[in-house]
Amino acid sequence: MMRLNRRQLLKTGAACGLTATLSGCSLLPRRAGDRPEQYTGAVGLPDGSFGVSAIDRTGQPLWQSPIATRGHSGCNRPGGQEVLFFERRPGWHFYVFDSITGARRHTIKADAGEHFVGHGVFSPDGRWLYATASRYEQGEGIITVYDAGDNYRRADTFELKGIGPHQLTLHPDGDTLVIGLGGILTHPDYDRIKLNLDTMDPALILLNRRTGKIMGRFRPTHRQQSIRHVDVSASGKIHVAYQYQGPLHETPPLLATLESGQLREYRFDNDIQTSLANYIASVIAHPENDLVAAASPVGGTAIVFDGNTGELLARAAITDCAGVQALAGGDFLISSGKGQLVRLGADNQPHELASLPVYWDHHLV
Amino acid sequence: MKPLFRTLGISVAALTISTAAAAKTDINQQVRAVWHQDIEAGYQNLAKQTRALAEQADSWCQEPDALNRDSVDQLWLDSFRAWQAVRFVNFGPIETDNRAWQFQFWPDPKNLIARKARYLLTSDQAPTAETIADSGVAVQGFPMAEYLLFDEQLNSTDRALPAQRTCRALVLVAGHIADNSAQQLQDWQSFEDNYVANEQYRDTTIKAGMAALEILEERRLAQPMGLRGTGKRSVYTADAWRSGQSLAAVEATVRGLQEHFLPALVLLLEGSDQPELAGRIEQQFAEVLENFPAMRTPMAPLLASDEAFARLQGLYVDISQLTTLVNDQATVALGVVRGFNSSDGD
Repeated sequence: MMRLNRRQLLKTGAACGLTATLSGCSLLPRRAGDRPEQYTGAVGLPDGSFGVSAIDRTGQPLWQSPIATRGHSGCNRPGGQEVLFFERRPGWHFYVFDSITGARRHTIKADAGEHFVGHGVFSPDGRWLYATASRYEQGEGIITVYDAGDNYRRADTFELKGIGPHQLTLHPDGDTLVIGLGGILTHPDYDRIKLNLDTMDPALILLNRRTGKIMGRFRPTHRQQSIRHVDVSASGKIHVAYQYQGPLHETPPLLATLESGQLREYRFDNDIQTSLANYIASVIAHPENDLVAAASPVGGTAIVFDGNTGELLARAAITDCAGVQALAGGDFLISSGKGQLVRLGADNQPHELASLPVYWDHHLV
Repeated sequence: MKPLFRTLGISVAALTISTAAAAKTDINQQVRAVWHQDIEAGYQNLAKQTRALAEQADSWCQEPDALNRDSVDQLWLDSFRAWQAVRFVNFGPIETDNRAWQFQFWPDPKNLIARKARYLLTSDQAPTAETIADSGVAVQGFPMAEYLLFDEQLNSTDRALPAQRTCRALVLVAGHIADNSAQQLQDWQSFEDNYVANEQYRDTTIKAGMAALEILEERRLAQPMGLRGTGKRSVYTADAWRSGQSLAAVEATVRGLQEHFLPALVLLLEGSDQPELAGRIEQQFAEVLENFPAMRTPMAPLLASDEAFARLQGLYVDISQLTTLVNDQATVALGVVRGFNSSDGD
């Protein structure tokens, strides 16, 4: 037992020995958009537990709130003091926190026969929450609608007529939900097994949030290009990111823009494509300019490219990077499962801002 | 051997004329050629053992009185061990049609194996090869065959083997496993050029070994030992508990890693700036395996008393140390990271 204890001790000691360090500058840059002074993300902790953590611009934790299982992404409620986080797929709950104190205000359980998949977005007035979900016995992708003004009462359901929705966001027109439909069938009884790789039908879906009507469905060139992540620029340009389900030595495009009713796919040179490892975990269009950033934890690579031309502008090797945030001033913040926060912009001068003793889980909000 | 010699020949020629970077690429290609060949040997054994199981199950079911049931049980175990030896390979053709899951659906917290077995054995229509092909991964692999051969509850009923319907299911499932094994061997052979030529398969292979060790330590040992989660000891969270072969399967996985993963890893480490790690890891594999054959025993009795449990802890500590050496130290030396997000899949 002596050896076992020593090993555990070594592991714990190494983890706890870390403290928040900010290097290069004393403050994290402000975020672009709402709540510029705070970053919130799901985290894994060195002891194996999970939580949601908010930090301020000095990199110091504002609060950390435990959750029972691994989280994924979340969203800030406009006009209020709430931030939501969803459990990792298959997610049986989402949690509503006081964004200032971290106190948990609500725990909302998925309806029977449904599970969440990790993402949600609010209407501009902060009343309606739209969350991607799966009706898992039937394998049907849906948008679940909750009334945040009425304690997150389930208010409506929109059918996606497809399998495996993941991220969704709201178009600047205020009405159109932009939804990444991965096309991959899973079932909670079967772990995360992909049950239909031969018959996948991924798509980018545009859906009117007031009527639930599907306004457009756009397919990638290859049916194994699973569309998971989406973002929209301030001017309304829609960007999508794929996770390719074919073999690793095939390196098809992983990023695309909706143009003239078609997905225009960007393939970078072989070196970049290989370094993205057929897997993009986040794509973010900067609200202040035409830049787009994407991160691949599998390839340990983050890139910035021109969202109009597809020209590659910056590339950084960041181990286990997954989260991307737009920073005020035009750059991006990349977060990693190693606790790093790295600034990356068009100048291609990646700069590590902080290293924190948490594993940032995918998306910062 | 042919591919290894071929790449070695190329690398010698290249070394005389090229930069250090090109030489490194060639060394990595040689290493992948070794890996490809070592893993192929594992798949060859799997194909051989599973075919023998399918044939023996068929023969015995036709003449249960004349032939020995034990030979079927033993061939299931030999086949299952052959699978454990290559179970770490989680990339390449094994991903086709969820083949890895077809071989072994696990973990099974909802006991789908038993539920699906009841359906196979009691539905109006007797199962056919198509039934097996269409019924999902819980029906198609070693755990279902194990259920039919070893499940105590089933064996106490008149549906126990060699009951006709149960025999039919066993022959079909064993046939499915054998067909998949043959296909996997063939596909692995076809995969050679892409595997050897593509640099990213170096890290992919190392990560596969890391993941296998982590699953071994955390899910196949710590979890049933009650060292994680609820803290309750439960053999039902281990694999192969119905046959009492959870620990024999652990041994087979470790031996498989030693035979099909370690040799090429050692080559890489010897060329790294921490060459001494190679010997330490080889030594630690030997230490883990010193627990056997004494530990080829059902896990359940070892969970039942603290005295017996100490034996299990000894094995667990040895495996933990092996995992630390490979997953924490060797990977730093080789610059490989299996991250929190990179192994997530969303």
